[in-house]
This record gives sequence, structure tokens and C-alpha cells, in this order.
Amino acid sequence: MEDRAVELIDVTAVYEGERIPALHGITFAVPSGRLIGIVGPNGAGKTTLLEVINGLLPVTAGEVRVLGEPVSPRSHRLRRRIAYLPQDLFFSPSTPFLVRDVVLMGRFGQIGPGRFPRRVDHHAVSTALAAVGMEKLAHRPIGRLSGGQQRKVLLARVIARAPELLLLDEPLTNLDPASKDELSGLVLGIHRELALTTLFVSHEPGPLLESADRIVTIEAGRLLDPVSA
Amino acid sequence: MFGIPLHIVLPTLIGSLIAGGICSVMGIFVVRMNLSSLGFAMSHAAFAGAALGIAVSGLDPLLMAILFAVAMAAVLGPLSELSRLNPDTIIGAIFPLMMALGLIFLSLAPSAGIGSGALSLLWGSVLGITMSDVIKLGILAVVLLFVLGVFWKEFLAVLLDRKLAAASGIPVRVYYYTILFLTALVVAFSLRITGGLLIYTLMILPASAAYQLLYDIKKVFLAAPLIGALSSLLGFILSLAADLPIGSSIAVAAAGIFLLAVVLSPKRRVAKGTQA
Repeated sequence: MEDRAVELIDVTAVYEGERIPALHGITFAVPSGRLIGIVGPNGAGKTTLLEVINGLLPVTAGEVRVLGEPVSPRSHRLRRRIAYLPQDLFFSPSTPFLVRDVVLMGRFGQIGPGRFPRRVDHHAVSTALAAVGMEKLAHRPIGRLSGGQQRKVLLARVIARAPELLLLDEPLTNLDPASKDELSGLVLGIHRELALTTLFVSHEPGPLLESADRIVTIEAGRLLDPVSA
Repeated sequence: MFGIPLHIVLPTLIGSLIAGGICSVMGIFVVRMNLSSLGFAMSHAAFAGAALGIAVSGLDPLLMAILFAVAMAAVLGPLSELSRLNPDTIIGAIFPLMMALGLIFLSLAPSAGIGSGALSLLWGSVLGITMSDVIKLGILAVVLLFVLGVFWKEFLAVLLDRKLAAASGIPVRVYYYTILFLTALVVAFSLRITGGLLIYTLMILPASAAYQLLYDIKKVFLAAPLIGALSSLLGFILSLAADLPIGSSIAVAAAGIFLLAVVLSPKRRVAKGTQA
């Protein structure tokens, strides 16, 4: 049997205080190394699906297994092996964090409490920033960068973490066409070079969706084609 | 100093400097994480608790202030975390209740009356601080430095973005509640210096001034306590020179420094440039 990076078995998830499930009876598996696009209308449950996969949202029924381990909100160790870029994460101009620190923070979970970043961590940050062409802006405040540049920094953060699973929620939203192309190329590069299992939510037609091994559609919390991806 | 014996003034001076530093450090979290209304409620709960401690003989005012502030954090923390409670609701409901309770307790205190030691809980007092209070503040400062030092990375990650921190494997709730608990302790221990009405200014204004001036969070952590200590020092001098309540004097000094920071802020210039 093929090695499965992500496996959901009859998963139902309900947000606290809500009555209608955001996800309903989802069964879904992703073999390692695949690039999977998730599409669907607004409010269909695409973001919820990613949050259930990395354990930020608990399931009310069913089972989620990622990288061979069961997932829950307390799966902090497991989340250190997963990189997740939330939707619409942009930093305001007054954000008091430098680009280099934002990338380094991606490794903090892996370094663990009570320990300080070592040379290997700083080297990983420099390499990651160079990979996305942002090394010259390493000491700029993150909020002073454009939306496209901020996205590149967050991708550098992904590279610096060397994850085993990448979850991207609308990575191209609110970017200009040139930035969308550049970001798509970077995501595809990361996916191929690291042989990284990648799930992304996107509405944007273009190279990212065209390169996907499979596109799954979710509507009203249900997968329309509930088969192994 | 200003006609008051040094052995009386010195504890307040040292205590003010320490309180300015530690309040400002916690202010960095409160301002960045939008916990202002929560901090506001905690400071007034600490005031009510301390007032109860004074009103009922046998109760320790400091312990009661800590209990009230921590209880407030325990009740409001989860609500605030889940964004179920509008910040205005917290201020609107909790602030008047805690103030009312505090004033009722003070009116029942054996030494009640304007200018009494009990009322120093409201306005702060130059004469109300003992060396024992200073030692307690010093111990709290060391504990705060230790906790921040050991979990420095995790606190920074939470300050950047809670969701991003959680997604990278950091148990965010643990650090969120540690921040609330430390804030409650700092408020309770510093209460006698600035008073319950104004302690919040010492928490918010120096941190806000540092945020106005700096883009690097590491420098904010150095600048905010220095600005807080400077506010305390200037307020202390103003209080003695003009015979004003120390809490009000510190608040005026902190507000002055904050306004200066806003005028000098590079971020303000960037914002104006962006609008143009």
C-alpha cells in the first residue's frame, strides 16, 4: 500500500457554538509527495479541512491521521512537522518584527522551550531567504514589505522549517498577477525539490492548479469526489 | 529629599522604578495582543481585592489583590481568547462593578477617609511603600525575567501571531495564560505605588511609546521597561516637588513620554507617506 501522508476517515467537524457541521463525513487520503488542490465556493469548508488536518480544529466524529499519527489539538509535536500558511495573513506596517526573525520563528517549535537557536538554525534561515530571493531584505520590518514580499517571507519560513507536509490556504489571494506567478513558481519549486506532500486551497487559475496531481472539490462541507487522491 | 527623610523616600523610589519596568514589560504583551480591556479589568479587580483586604482585618491586601486579579484573568481569559466577549462589554460591565466594590470595601475600612493609607490604593502613595514591598517587587521582577528568559522564543512567536505559533507546534494556550497570570501578579504587586485607578497607564503607555519608536521586538523589550522606569522617576520627582499624588504624577509623565514618542515616531511618518 502506498505511504499515506494524510488520511481522514468519516470526519465531521463542528465549530463551537454552531449547529451545522463545517465538515460532514469526509473520507480522504493523500499519498506522500503529492500536490493536491482543494477548490470550492466560499464557506464550503476548505479552510476547515486544512485546520482539521493540522489539528487546530478538533473533529467531532471520525479520525484524522497525518504522517502516520492521530491528530488532535494537543498534537504540538506533530505540528512541528507540518507547515501551515493561514489565509489572509498579512502584517500591518507597524508590526515590530524583522523579516529574519519571522523566518527564524518558524523553527522555534522544533528547537523546543529553554533552548536558543544555534548556528544551524541561523544557517537554515539564510538559505531559506536566499531561496525566495529575500536575503537583502532580511533586516527590514516585515510590515514594510508588499503583500507579495510578505508571502515570500512566509514561504522562506516554510523552507527553513523543512516540514514533511505543507498546507497552504489561498496563498495567492490579494496579490498582483506578477506576484501570483512568482509565488506559484516558488510553491511548485518547494514541492518538487523537497518532494513535499502539499495541499493547497486556491481559487486562482494558473500554474499551481494546473500542476496539481489531483483537484478535489468541497461543497457544503462534503467532498464531491470522496476517493483517495 | 524634598524635606522627607531618605529612608522613607528611597523604598518608594526603588519600588517605582521596578514597578515601571515590570508593568511596561507586561504592557508589551497587553498592547500587542489586544488584551487592553482584559488588563483594565484585572487592574480594577486587584484594586477591589486589596480594598477588601484592608476592610477585613486578618486579610492580607496584597494576597487579596492577587486573588482578585488572577480570578478575573481566569474568568475573562477564556471568553476573550474565544472572542466571545466584546472588549467594550468587559470594560462596561467589570470596571464599574470592581470600582464600586473597591469603594464599598474602602468605606468599610477602619481607617477610611480621604488621605488615609487605605485610599492610597486609589491614588498611590509616596509614603505607603516599605522596604518589604520593594523586596517583593524585586522578587517578582526576577521571576518575570526568568520566565521570559526561559520561554523567550515561545513568547515572541505568540506575540507575532497566535495562529502561526500554534501551527508551528507551540502550545499557545499555555503561554497565553502564563501572560495573563504574570500580568495579574504585576498589577497586584505594583498597586500601592500608582494606585488602582492609574496603574494601567504605567502598563500601556511606556509599551505603546516603545512600539511607536521601534520596529524590532527585541529592542521594544529593552526600551519599554526603560521608558516605564523613566516615567516612574519623573513622576516620583514631580510628586515630591509639587506635592501631588504619585500615581497621577507617574501617569502624567508616562503620557508626556508617549505623546513625544508619537510625534517622533518613524511609523507615523510612514503612515503619512502612505496616505500621500
